[in-house]
Amino acid sequence: MKPILTIIALWLFPSGLFLLIAGLLYQWFDRKLLALLQNRIGPRWFQPFADTLKLLAKEEIIPEGVNPYLFVGLPPVALAGALTAALYVPIAGLAPSYGFSGDLIVVLYLLSLLTLCMGLAGTNTLDRFSLIGATRTLTQLFSYEAPFLLAMLGPAMAAGSWQVGTITAYAENHWLILTQPLGFIVALVGLMGKLEMPPFDAPEAHTEIVSGALTEYSGRGLATFNLGRAVELVVGLTLVSAFYLGGVSNPLLFVSKTLALLFVMVGLQALLTRLRIDQTVGLWWRYGTLLVLVQWFIMILG
Amino acid sequence: MDTNFPQNNFTVPIGPQHPALKEPGLFKFVVDGEIITGASVRLGYAHRGIEKAAEGRNWVQNLYLIERVCGICSHIHALAYCLAVEQLANIQAPPRAQAIRTLVAELERIHSHLLWMGVSAHEAGFDTLFMYAWRDREKVMDLLEGLTGNRVNYSANLLGGVKFDIGTAQAQSIREGLNFIEDRVRHYQDVVTHDEMFLQRTRGIGVMTRAQAEVMGAVGPTARASNVPRDLRTIAPYAAYSQFPVQMILDTRGDLEARFEVRLDELFESIRLIREILNALPESELTIRMPRRIPAGEAVVRLEAPRGEVFYFIKGNGTDKPERLKIRTPTICNLNSVVHLAIGHQLADAPMILAGIDPCFSCNDRMVQVSKVKDGSEHDMTWKELRQYGIDYYRQLSK
Repeated sequence: MKPILTIIALWLFPSGLFLLIAGLLYQWFDRKLLALLQNRIGPRWFQPFADTLKLLAKEEIIPEGVNPYLFVGLPPVALAGALTAALYVPIAGLAPSYGFSGDLIVVLYLLSLLTLCMGLAGTNTLDRFSLIGATRTLTQLFSYEAPFLLAMLGPAMAAGSWQVGTITAYAENHWLILTQPLGFIVALVGLMGKLEMPPFDAPEAHTEIVSGALTEYSGRGLATFNLGRAVELVVGLTLVSAFYLGGVSNPLLFVSKTLALLFVMVGLQALLTRLRIDQTVGLWWRYGTLLVLVQWFIMILG
Repeated sequence: MDTNFPQNNFTVPIGPQHPALKEPGLFKFVVDGEIITGASVRLGYAHRGIEKAAEGRNWVQNLYLIERVCGICSHIHALAYCLAVEQLANIQAPPRAQAIRTLVAELERIHSHLLWMGVSAHEAGFDTLFMYAWRDREKVMDLLEGLTGNRVNYSANLLGGVKFDIGTAQAQSIREGLNFIEDRVRHYQDVVTHDEMFLQRTRGIGVMTRAQAEVMGAVGPTARASNVPRDLRTIAPYAAYSQFPVQMILDTRGDLEARFEVRLDELFESIRLIREILNALPESELTIRMPRRIPAGEAVVRLEAPRGEVFYFIKGNGTDKPERLKIRTPTICNLNSVVHLAIGHQLADAPMILAGIDPCFSCNDRMVQVSKVKDGSEHDMTWKELRQYGIDYYRQLSK
């Protein structure tokens, strides 16, 4: 029985196919809602699927001057990182498939893998827009990563464990958004930074650097990176809502809480102007880190 | 227009095709990390030979051609042409026609400024403002369509008058439309002057002092945001602007925020003016008879387009065609400031500074410049070289 369960966990649920579909649906929700807030009509529900299929079917152009192995290899690694992270988080409200003491750190680093891969992919090409985009991607990684990590460790400290399963079980009985509001804000905004959503989309600001680090990607590579980002959206939303919004103990709670969180994020996307990269760094190190440290200080005192 | 172009540096090309540009133009920014250290501009990608084409058409046919110089401020070009030809023929359009011309010009200004605000917000990554500004701009387009039958090339002018009258029903619909627009513009003014995130991208960015603006010959709202009193509607009134005076909007700060405020304040001024014209539309004929042959002579007309001063020079030789037509649009005057102001700013600000002058490339292109790299440096190709290149190219293709 065990090998079959492992295969299901890896390929169908919670990781694998289920997550890919869920990710694209969440991406559609994000796009549609943003469109409605911006007085547009927005895509139909199958648009992200159609985009992905179209890109997968297309030729992948490998530009001159790149390391072809790295160019082709990075997108799958990024997607694999995001999918692996899903094995340790309570997707769809069920207990994590795997878990060990301290897996929270592993999950957070697996989620950063996507950003790292995109940075590498950008620096791999000779394209100027990619190079600037990659620099910005990595700069942004270094600015939001520490505050986001600290914000995710807040619930871990409250639960007294660094295992995602244990923290989730603890959070089901405690709405940590009430006891750690500052940490929640940093985690939410940090997630937006991680997903390079507006206003943190300087790394792919298309009025300046076309498409940032992924400018040279087409076809399969682009589709894979996009899938990786879709998966990361779901995993990130799951983590934040499981930790801060009173847990996700069943599928219904999971869907409602993650979508509510996404709703807030879409609202912020519609309201805010893109930050320049120096403003992003300033924001995180001046306010983000400070907020989270204040939160920790309160927790230690209280 | 090169400024400090050190060799072997990291250059970011914005253009000829680039998401930040709605029309082709090439801006090369030399960057040191994120900071711009040098900038250059190259134009000519949308050269259409309009001036030459005008020489081959007669006075009436040219009206249709000139209306297509610019896709946004089409009316002001046709108006400039008509005023110049009328000046040559030594006639004056009747007062009602002049008032209607002015009214359409002001409606056009509203649509152009709203369009600009949307584009600038988009360059800053504030797409919500972009979408809303363009939605409300549709109202002006509808008004223009109701008035003239067209959304873009209104074709309102005739030599010696205008094509249509404004009735009571139309005046009423314009008044109602203006109420809606005034309401929305007041809201946008609140947004661009109070939204902290947006102000971070506009306040103190691309500051042009008055002295700089005068040296670089800036025109239009770009110059007025730097406190240069240059608005032809007030300093050299044309059409009906002497009966319906406009107040010049000035700002002393010279940054992008000031340019937003100047343009939005101008919208209120335009709305006020249109209402005034509708209330006191002079009674007269709509057209005056125009001679087929225009006497020989030269005429110069300067008008205030939404982007700044438009300059028309027409030379007639007594036939039914102009001998020479020279058009200078405002963008070419303002582009110089982009190249200078961008230096020292972040790359992220470059599209904003560029959009800040409200560039319009197709209408300002008057020549094509073909350069080639020889011995490591760029130089312009001569006509002979270009011809030889063409011959070699096709010879190689046929092999």
